[in-house]
Amino acid sequence: MFNELPLVIFTIIAQMSVGSFVVLGLIHLFGARAGREVIDKVSDPALYAIGPVLVLGLLASMTHLGTPIRAVNALRHVDSSWLSREILFGLLFAAIGGAFAFSQWFKWLTPRLRQALAGLAALVGLALIWSMTMVYLLPTVPAWDSWATPVRFFATTFLLGSLAVGAALVVTADVRRRRAAVADDASEAVIMSSLRGIAIGAIAMLGVEFVVVPLYLGKLATDGSPATAASSTALSNTYGGYAVVQLVLVFLGVTLLGVFLSRLAKRFSTARLLAIAPVAAFVLVIAGEIIGRMLFYASYARVGL
Amino acid sequence: MTPQSVPSPAIDSTGVTRRRFVQWTAIAGAGAGLVSLTGCGQTGTPDALAEPAAVGTEAKVVWSSCNVNCGSRCPLRLNVVGGVITRVDPDNTGDDSLGTQQIRACVRGRSIRQRIYNPDRLKKPMKRVGKRGEGKWAEISWDEAFTTIAGTLTRLIKDHGNESIYINYGTGVLGATVATSWPPASSAVARMMNCVGGSLMQYNDYSAANIEAAVDFHYGGWQGSNSNDDTVNSKLVLMFGNNPHETRMSGGGETFVTQTAKKLSGHKVIVFDPRYTDTAMNLADEWVPLRPGTDAALVAGFAHVMITEKLLDQAFLDKYCSGFDEAHMPAGMPANLSYESYVLGRGADGTVKSPAWASRVTGVPADDIRRLAREIAQSKPCSITQGWGPQRHSNGENQSRAPMLLAAMTGNIGISGGGTGERESYAALSMASFPVLDNPVRPVLPFFRWTEAILRGKGMDYQDGIRDALDTNSNANIKAGVTLGSNIKFIWLYGSNALVNQHGDINKTIEILSDETKCEMIVCIDNQMTVSARYSDILLPDVTTAEQVDLAAQQSAGNLGYSIFTDKAIEPLYECMPVYEQMAGIAEKLGVKEKFTEGRTQEDWVRWIVEESRKTIPDLPPFEEFRKMGVFKKKLDSVIGMKTFRDDPVANALKTPSGKIEIFSSNLHTISQTWKMEKGNTVTALPEYVQSREMPGDPLQAKYPLQCIGHHYKARTHSTYGNVVWLKEAHPQMVWINELDAAARGIKPGDNVKVFNDRGALILPAHVTLRIAPGVASVPQGAWYAPEKAGGVDLGGSMNTLTSQFPTAYSKANGQHSNLVEIVKA
Amino acid sequence: MSKANVTKYKQLGFYLDQGGCTGCKACQIACKDKNDLPVGISWRRVAEYSGGGWSKDESLGTFKPNVFTYYTSVACNHCEDPICVRVCPTQAMRKGEDGIVAVDASICIGCRYCEWACPYGAPQFSAEKGVMTKCNFCRDFLAEGREPACVAACPSRVLDFGEIDELRKKHGDTADIEPLPDPAITKPNLVITPHKDAQRSGHGRGTLANPKEV
Repeated sequence: MFNELPLVIFTIIAQMSVGSFVVLGLIHLFGARAGREVIDKVSDPALYAIGPVLVLGLLASMTHLGTPIRAVNALRHVDSSWLSREILFGLLFAAIGGAFAFSQWFKWLTPRLRQALAGLAALVGLALIWSMTMVYLLPTVPAWDSWATPVRFFATTFLLGSLAVGAALVVTADVRRRRAAVADDASEAVIMSSLRGIAIGAIAMLGVEFVVVPLYLGKLATDGSPATAASSTALSNTYGGYAVVQLVLVFLGVTLLGVFLSRLAKRFSTARLLAIAPVAAFVLVIAGEIIGRMLFYASYARVGL
Repeated sequence: MTPQSVPSPAIDSTGVTRRRFVQWTAIAGAGAGLVSLTGCGQTGTPDALAEPAAVGTEAKVVWSSCNVNCGSRCPLRLNVVGGVITRVDPDNTGDDSLGTQQIRACVRGRSIRQRIYNPDRLKKPMKRVGKRGEGKWAEISWDEAFTTIAGTLTRLIKDHGNESIYINYGTGVLGATVATSWPPASSAVARMMNCVGGSLMQYNDYSAANIEAAVDFHYGGWQGSNSNDDTVNSKLVLMFGNNPHETRMSGGGETFVTQTAKKLSGHKVIVFDPRYTDTAMNLADEWVPLRPGTDAALVAGFAHVMITEKLLDQAFLDKYCSGFDEAHMPAGMPANLSYESYVLGRGADGTVKSPAWASRVTGVPADDIRRLAREIAQSKPCSITQGWGPQRHSNGENQSRAPMLLAAMTGNIGISGGGTGERESYAALSMASFPVLDNPVRPVLPFFRWTEAILRGKGMDYQDGIRDALDTNSNANIKAGVTLGSNIKFIWLYGSNALVNQHGDINKTIEILSDETKCEMIVCIDNQMTVSARYSDILLPDVTTAEQVDLAAQQSAGNLGYSIFTDKAIEPLYECMPVYEQMAGIAEKLGVKEKFTEGRTQEDWVRWIVEESRKTIPDLPPFEEFRKMGVFKKKLDSVIGMKTFRDDPVANALKTPSGKIEIFSSNLHTISQTWKMEKGNTVTALPEYVQSREMPGDPLQAKYPLQCIGHHYKARTHSTYGNVVWLKEAHPQMVWINELDAAARGIKPGDNVKVFNDRGALILPAHVTLRIAPGVASVPQGAWYAPEKAGGVDLGGSMNTLTSQFPTAYSKANGQHSNLVEIVKA
Repeated sequence: MSKANVTKYKQLGFYLDQGGCTGCKACQIACKDKNDLPVGISWRRVAEYSGGGWSKDESLGTFKPNVFTYYTSVACNHCEDPICVRVCPTQAMRKGEDGIVAVDASICIGCRYCEWACPYGAPQFSAEKGVMTKCNFCRDFLAEGREPACVAACPSRVLDFGEIDELRKKHGDTADIEPLPDPAITKPNLVITPHKDAQRSGHGRGTLANPKEV
């Protein structure tokens, strides 16, 4: 359960980073009406947080290695190994995304060019998630070699990405509100509409997980081969308790978001209370996703010996 | 909420300060640092080999051998670099044919580097401080050790006589010649004792004592069945509890011979064994599982079929046997004492030994008994052998005679492709042995009764099993005037783990040894800190085979005769000293050094033995050539057991009272009438099935329902190799339990379970398997006793925590497989 | 380690006469001895596959088995389509000109992806060294004209090796035996003469009896 913690941290962080980046991009796209300056002001802090977190994730992945000092060797087999490709896209995403962040910070290039850079980074980020998925589609590991793997990885990407952005937005706004003497209605409006979209998107992603996971577990349980039986036992019996905890956390997160959404529908009464919801939802759901990822690794069982 | 006025650097339009940016990255960095503390799953623990550093790079390959008591003997070619053994290679002479085979070492011998360089090596002489078994030692010099031992020997011999000094059973170095540990009477220790008036000797052995005693009455003495290479001529091969593929695993020994013989002949093999052994899954066309200790009942069931369906080889029985039927009983015997009467219910018990009766006792379905009896009777020639398992029971003597009886009923004795029902023989080169001078002590102790002899040795007589050294054959000792003159006061252990671990009832043994006024001194000569070493008083560190020059005598290899020159591959480690030199040191203190050494070093003796051997084996090369050669081989003739008797039973009459095979043994009959017997022991003249101690049907089964044997395991040879980590990894110590019995107890594969009876308890993992009969469990024998606290539960899985010291009826030996236990989840 | 063919083979393979394997593991120990492997790393392992059942008659007190068991000694099969080579991100895992699949310890970063992928358990991680380790077909012995240590050790002579084409000509091309995986996955260069109770991969009635030992 705990022996692949570095990979749990890396994959969760990488997926959350790409998801956050994409969601921020969507906010820029759909929030164009509010004006570039407002959008930038609202979303840049979240953007700048992605980089360090991603670096942390990459460093975490290195602690999985037996000889991390040669980690760069992992780029040497791009023509055959999805792991090589994953590392390549990971580094490219960090580089291009970083280039975008720096250019955003220092206002280099033109807004259009910066936008193109961001778009490229987003595409590379999605390629990273796809590579990550393919790493686990090993014909010798039936528990992982399933359509459920890419579905769940991408669901995690957008789920954590959107909730992380949501939490970042409200925290940023909260901090600013306390510092500033003047209310910033334009920002607040962007944030509110973003949060609405985020909540709906997150609930949708959770819905996908709620449908996919039982289907996947059912198939695993009935397949009959020794490897799938071992994986099934790990998930249902040995670590069944953790699976329940994961479900509870995710369910609580959904509930919170639902409540939040309904409150948003009426004009918000207490700003404070509302700020807690996206943050709490993020914490609950990422805890659940971490457990889910640990269960993913715990379900490892190989065909043959 | 009032805005806080904080003196801060300029805030740009994004609301994020440079300071904050730096803070984030700092957190990220620290977080990465934290994450790096979580390592990933570890595999590959470094071995704890205590190898010395290499000196130089000189490389050589030196012939050595593995000298343990497995029944085989394998050469090992040790690769030495800079004075350190770096790799073991197998014999590189010979081929894959019977009689000329390459002797490939088994899994155990291949790991010998882990014995030689084991951190458990005894390094310096030590004497015990504190109580026996406490494990507290003080290092002493060799001189102090020799002086102390010599002084105690002198005193005890003066006060109690030489009979008080006992060289205990030890087969750890059985394969050596000058350094041999077995039989104890042939060891350097014995030679040294014989320089000062001798010592108490033993007869028979933990391996096969019950059959050894029984066969004296049945056949007049040990005959040996045909060698296994002869089974190429067999149509059918029966193996009763004979498991060479787990015990005699040498690739030049019986594993090789049986596999090759079957390949060549395509003969059918039937294995009778409570376990689906590796021999069975490899060779057997049919596996007949039966309850341990009930082979005699199975054979009685066979006999019923053969008698009633007229399938007996009547001609053979009439000509060669005494006592099978009423017409062939010894003169003057009352009626209905023949085996036939026993089977047909005319004997004293009035029970017909029908297949239905036999099936209830053995667990084998009656239809199978009938079918097998018919098949066995009608498949000739039929090789019939037994291993040591069926006879190591509380009714072991009668057990051992059952396959012999079967061989007689089917007329397979003394013919090619047939067998005598005993263990297979092997053809061997008769190398000379290390001369040990004469031992004037007359009383000889049954090997299993040394604990008894500590308690009440003085006065033990022939009915306790004491025999006369002049003739230790069972027939000569049904009434003998010999009496033991002393309790055992001093025990020599050389290459022996029989003190504690291999002897029955470990807890009782420890209790007996704890009284230091009884057995006053125990000297242990070994190269490892064994369990027995832990309970000794003085430890003398021995070298291994690789650290001395010697010869290794062969054991069972079909019809391949061979001898191995085991040269010195490395210098003795630590302060270790070969046993020959140790005994010379003690002899010096006793003033008999010249008598002991005759001026020879160990190597001189090896030269002498080679020259002596060349007198009877002219092909054997002289010393220097033999040394270079490593292993000398010679193809010999197959052994046909009792061929001369079969060819001419008059001229070559057996040494039984009738001169014939005694199915009814008149001497056993005498014993049954005249000896006083322990309660629970029965002596019968016929090979009847006896429901003896802890056999199925024992009322004790209400408390301890499972029969528990201690099969001999691939991980070790008895307890030798028991501290080799590679072997513990390859063959972990687990108790075998049938899936049905495990399910009834909620035990899942790998669960830690407690195996226990009134004598002790073990905790070890369960091997839940289909490969053992229901109602039967097995704890592989020889694991090293490791109690969690003194007198507490054994965590090492040592079988003898559960076994008994109760002697068998007339062998006065070990029924170590007769144990009732219960098993529960721990 | 260069890809150069220091041996004279085009594609090496192992042969197993499964019916004669007694599960003794002399092959495993010989390999560990030659390569100084610690507890926890065994380049050759022996799997036991068992199954069946017992019928008991409680009233008569009898029992009858219908039990099967057999052993399979396996190291690395130096596959035709080695999944370990395919997935290795560093190219440390390579197939040589003689068909031997070996890991270059100077390149390997110990990511253990090959360990995840291989259905024979051949690549094994050394925590002490931080890299993967595996059977290298005793390439050094082969260069000297000697047999691999495991083949030379087997007391029952059930192991053999050689040019895979010749092995297949001599013994057939069966490799799909439980508990081994479907050979279609990685195309192992392995030929087995099955034990009399052997069952086809994926169609077994038994279970792996010693999972912790393989």
